Amino acid sequence: MPSAIEVQTLSKRFGNVQAVDNLSFEVVAGRVTGFLGPNGSGKTTTLRMLLGLVSITGGTATFGGKRYADLDHPIHHVGAVLEATSFHPSRRAEDHLKMVAIGAGLPLSRVDDTLAQVGLSEVARRRVGKFSLGMRQRLQLATALLGDPEILILDEPANGLDPQGIQWLRTFIRHQASIGHAVLVSSHLLSEMEETVDDVVIVSHGRLVLQTTLAELASRAGTRTGLRIRTPELGRLVGILQAIPVGYRQVAPDMLVIDGATPEWFGPLAAQHQLVLYELIHEKGSLEDVFLQLTHGFDAADPTLMGSGQPGANGPTALSPRTAPMPGGTA
Amino acid sequence: MIAGVRSEWLKMRTTAVPWVLAGIALIVNALLILVYFVNHGTGGGNNNGGSEPNTFGIPNYPHTTQQLRNLLGSGFESYLFALLLGTLCLTTEFRHKTVTTSFLVTPRRPRFVASKLLTAALLGAGLAVIMLVATLIGGGATLAAQGGSITDLIRQLPAVAPGMILVFALFAILGVGVGSVLTNQVAAIVVCLGWFIILEGILVQLVHGAAPWVPTGAAIAASNLTRGRGSDFGLFNWWQGTLLMLAYGLAFAAVGSLILTRRDIT
Repeated sequence: MPSAIEVQTLSKRFGNVQAVDNLSFEVVAGRVTGFLGPNGSGKTTTLRMLLGLVSITGGTATFGGKRYADLDHPIHHVGAVLEATSFHPSRRAEDHLKMVAIGAGLPLSRVDDTLAQVGLSEVARRRVGKFSLGMRQRLQLATALLGDPEILILDEPANGLDPQGIQWLRTFIRHQASIGHAVLVSSHLLSEMEETVDDVVIVSHGRLVLQTTLAELASRAGTRTGLRIRTPELGRLVGILQAIPVGYRQVAPDMLVIDGATPEWFGPLAAQHQLVLYELIHEKGSLEDVFLQLTHGFDAADPTLMGSGQPGANGPTALSPRTAPMPGGTA
Repeated sequence: MIAGVRSEWLKMRTTAVPWVLAGIALIVNALLILVYFVNHGTGGGNNNGGSEPNTFGIPNYPHTTQQLRNLLGSGFESYLFALLLGTLCLTTEFRHKTVTTSFLVTPRRPRFVASKLLTAALLGAGLAVIMLVATLIGGGATLAAQGGSITDLIRQLPAVAPGMILVFALFAILGVGVGSVLTNQVAAIVVCLGWFIILEGILVQLVHGAAPWVPTGAAIAASNLTRGRGSDFGLFNWWQGTLLMLAYGLAFAAVGSLILTRRDIT
């Protein structure tokens, strides 16, 4: 499968800030690629460099080998929804689309087509100033679709959409991929994209952390399960664990996490050694955890950060009632 | 390029800018026509015939060729609106951030500026036509009411209209040029008005021989209608003035295109 979008050793420097640093990835047709990273990780800058809006400091960003500006009628090939793009408030929705259609040499019939496609036909004559954020997002999408492009670039398209809108967007994006179009969609939330993307490009601080498939990322998440144990007899527990080939890490004076362990495995072990337990939490790694670990870990390169982030987020006290009917239980 | 101009025209006509500017220009023009007739009637104007008393059988309304041309050209004073039309044509895109979409459609930014230049030139010319028609109607009706002849007024069109249309187009081009350099709308308007209302006049006073070289001098030369100020300005002929005025506009636009090409739209 030839790549629709190719980013090679792309860099951007704004004054002293290295916004994008030697970034390389590709996007193939017929698949949805999630472009993920925390806010300020260079996603928007990268997309804007692809689209020729921001100048490139180093490297290349091309569509089938051509820069955006070198494409013949770019609107016919690449559709973009960008953050912070605005509309003239007193212009009607259909006039906004007509202005793009005429400028790009497209038939005006496309205006009605795309308005229908995004569900804005009824407000076509309304001035954009009166539009809600969600309606503006849809109008942006309609603008991107005018040229029936084979490549779509969407920067945080779910922003401002209500749950129905997000569901609709997912279906829309999946459909685009199913008809062979390439979709690059950015988000700072992997959970938002979990059901939508095939591939992921994860960036942090302008650098590539990982390009892989969602399936591969999910399998990583699966291996990240662990058992969080709070016990007054931590020393004895460590002694027991040292005799077994299992990985563990202490995360607090009275708490440790055993990698890959399950309550079904640990319960009988605790019973056998008559170990007193205060808490037993089975932690299943979610994609979001992997994503956070990847993007944070990349930053701090400190493994304890991964563990220490979780008690605060999950709140052991809040979860402790659930640990009461422990399988195996304490002796 | 035709698509670009059509798109730009749609952009302009779907915002209030051209209509508000044209509206203000028409009101200003109506006032100027009124002032013209009032001055003329009382003999207070600087028109040759107007100061003559009635009793010698000379009509008390504009009737000489020069008077009629002055009346028909009263819309000339609205040239600043053509300038603002050009300035706003470009700076509105930055004010409302619609420039992102424009650059996605037309990634080559000098081409974007070129479309704006052409569109603004046409809009400027259009504004001149509107002013001429309004003057023909308003001025003509007043003239007829005083016993003058509308036909005589219309007969002066070939002498007045081409120069006025040309000058308005040139001012609109200059406006786009300035706007492409100063994309901040308020800054661009302040600089434009500041120059033409205050600074240019001071410069002409201070620097001997500067008059024909400043934009207004070039525009007056281009207009081929040197009403009153002509002799003071020591003007070029019309095509020299046109080229000079065009050079100003295109020089700004070239610098603006260069700046815009390097500019990051974030």
